[in-house]
Amino acid sequence: MAAAVFPAWLALQPGARTLRAFSTAVSPATRAPTPSPRTTERTSKYERPLRRKALPPRTEKMAVDQDWPSVYPVAAPFKPSVVPLPVRMGYPVKSGVPMAKEGNLELLKIPNFLHLTPVAIKKHCEALKEFCTEWPAALDNDEKCEKHFPVEIETADYVSAGPSVRNPKARVVTLRVKLSSLNLDDHAKKKLIKLVGERYCKTTDVLTIRTDRCPLKRQNYDYAVYLLTVLYHESWKTEEWEKNKTEADMEEYVWENSSSEKNILETLLQIKAAEKNLEVNKEELLGTKEVEDYRKSVVSLKNEGDNESTLSQYKESVKRLLNLT
Amino acid sequence: DSSPLQRLPCLDAGHFLHTGSQAPQNLAAHLDNQVPVESPRAVSRTSESDPAKHGEQHEGQHYNIPLQDLKAVFPHGLPPRFVMQVKTFNEACLMVRKPALELLHYLKNTNFAHPAVRYVLYGEKGTGKTLSLCHIIHFCAKQDWLILHIPDAHLWVKNCRNLLQSTYNKQRLDQPLEASIWLKNFKTANERFLSQIKVQEKYVWNKRESTEKGSPLGEVVEQGITRVRNATDAVGIVLKELKRQSSSGIFHLLVAVDGVNALWGRTTLKREDKSPIAPEELALIYNLRKMVKNDWHGGAIVLTLSQTGSVFKPRKAFLPQELLGKEGFDTLDPFIPILVSNYNPKEFESCIQYYLENNWLQHEKAHTEDGKKELLFLSNTNPGQLERLCAYL
Repeated sequence: MAAAVFPAWLALQPGARTLRAFSTAVSPATRAPTPSPRTTERTSKYERPLRRKALPPRTEKMAVDQDWPSVYPVAAPFKPSVVPLPVRMGYPVKSGVPMAKEGNLELLKIPNFLHLTPVAIKKHCEALKEFCTEWPAALDNDEKCEKHFPVEIETADYVSAGPSVRNPKARVVTLRVKLSSLNLDDHAKKKLIKLVGERYCKTTDVLTIRTDRCPLKRQNYDYAVYLLTVLYHESWKTEEWEKNKTEADMEEYVWENSSSEKNILETLLQIKAAEKNLEVNKEELLGTKEVEDYRKSVVSLKNEGDNESTLSQYKESVKRLLNLT
Repeated sequence: DSSPLQRLPCLDAGHFLHTGSQAPQNLAAHLDNQVPVESPRAVSRTSESDPAKHGEQHEGQHYNIPLQDLKAVFPHGLPPRFVMQVKTFNEACLMVRKPALELLHYLKNTNFAHPAVRYVLYGEKGTGKTLSLCHIIHFCAKQDWLILHIPDAHLWVKNCRNLLQSTYNKQRLDQPLEASIWLKNFKTANERFLSQIKVQEKYVWNKRESTEKGSPLGEVVEQGITRVRNATDAVGIVLKELKRQSSSGIFHLLVAVDGVNALWGRTTLKREDKSPIAPEELALIYNLRKMVKNDWHGGAIVLTLSQTGSVFKPRKAFLPQELLGKEGFDTLDPFIPILVSNYNPKEFESCIQYYLENNWLQHEKAHTEDGKKELLFLSNTNPGQLERLCAYL
């Protein structure tokens, strides 16, 4: 009986040690040796609490068209035996492949959105629909939305289970508006852009005001709307000191009264003087087509910077102006 | 008249030196009816050594400048690597290229009654702006213009020792060394004019010396060279007089400045109390700025922008507005910008042929198609880069 259970390797032990060897044979490596007296208890392998064999993972029993949101109803860590996908993640060793999903810590570390599949989101939407109102049928494209509702307000609400319902992040309010939908003339627009500074994006023409200085969301919203109103009205006013705007403050190059205009005027006057043609006046000289072309080329050169097309345009216009072939 | 050196079929360098020292005129008539050159040389060389006659058909070909002309016209104007090349090959050959041809065309049609037109050569590093400028200067020298050549304006805004307070204007600073070096070279280049042009006012140098009205300009230059203290003022006077008198029609004036973006940048110079000096506080720069304005007539102004040697400018900058800055652009406006670009295939081929003829490329693969392709790739057809690469072969 017991002798038959002896593992083969113990047969090599000398016979004098049989009893102790026997008691140690009772406890294989995976289990701590029980401090029971050696001779009395002869626990057999059949009476020990049997260690269950590992069952096949649940993925093998999953149907293809099962209800996935019920497998992952909430945000849960990645369970390799539950997710039926053969995902691999990790840095491969040399001539190897990334590690499989069983026992993969990398897959556990990253956030997974298995609880937010499109099916699940559809279900959420269905559940939320009874709390929503209909989208107005008349606003069926973006331009109409922009036209009727130029100001966009963004707020975030946070729900969590905890001792308090309040979340300080919920007070942030972002107000976005396109400047083209505001009634601003040239001076007002430039002044507004200078006033807001970083908050204006040139490529999309969107002014973004983000407020969070008040403790409550509705206070922040009022403050954002107040800021917009103040900016609008202030940019329409012209102050005394705005007359001192220098060339360095200008946002774009203005040709009138610039040194370029003066230079070209002097040059043209000298040319005319050389040809003994003294009865010309400034406006006439500046009104010719060549000067107009020259003006356009200089403005584009200054505003867009140097590139092949602007430089060649400038060259052509100067050549025509100075009558060089 | 075409240089006789090109008609000789043999490539012996010793021969060039020998015939070059004799008067070219004697040989010209006698060699005129020689057999025309064989084809590799036709690609890379032309016999037309008068820049006035250079045209589209000469594009890509090298023309020869006789060595004694070189010393007379370019006492200080050539880039240092080119000077080394001239010394090695014993001949000075410049390639005729499109930007220079364009400029020559404009210069030939200059209307001397109109204000001087400004031409600005710009381009990336090593594309040949300075040598194009030298081509133009050679043309103007042959046409008997007075050449006012400042070889590198950057030298006047950096590494200058011995700045003195200007005697003429207390606010400004003098640079005696640079001014005297320039005056010496100016004298070499324009000897014949210095006795013809007379100053139109009296200049008092100090208690004992003065230059009377009506005395030749050469005296002012001499004074600047001998009395180094007054060199900067002498330069200022020369510039002023030339500007005033070019309109009178006795001579045509070519103002050629290399690295003109130095005039409007920053300097690396500091006063004794370590405060930085602005360019306009240097008398040389101040007077030169007046020279490149177009309020005079009777000549032309050819300028080059250069990043090499410039201070406080990024390495990749080569476009006019980047290098000139706002102030420079506004002062030079209106100008004709002329782009100098890398070699096109024909010019590249011609350059390689020139090096091969002079036995400069010693590598056995240099004349093969593969070798040329490799050089093309490595240098990206940039003339300066190609020259440096070929120096190793």
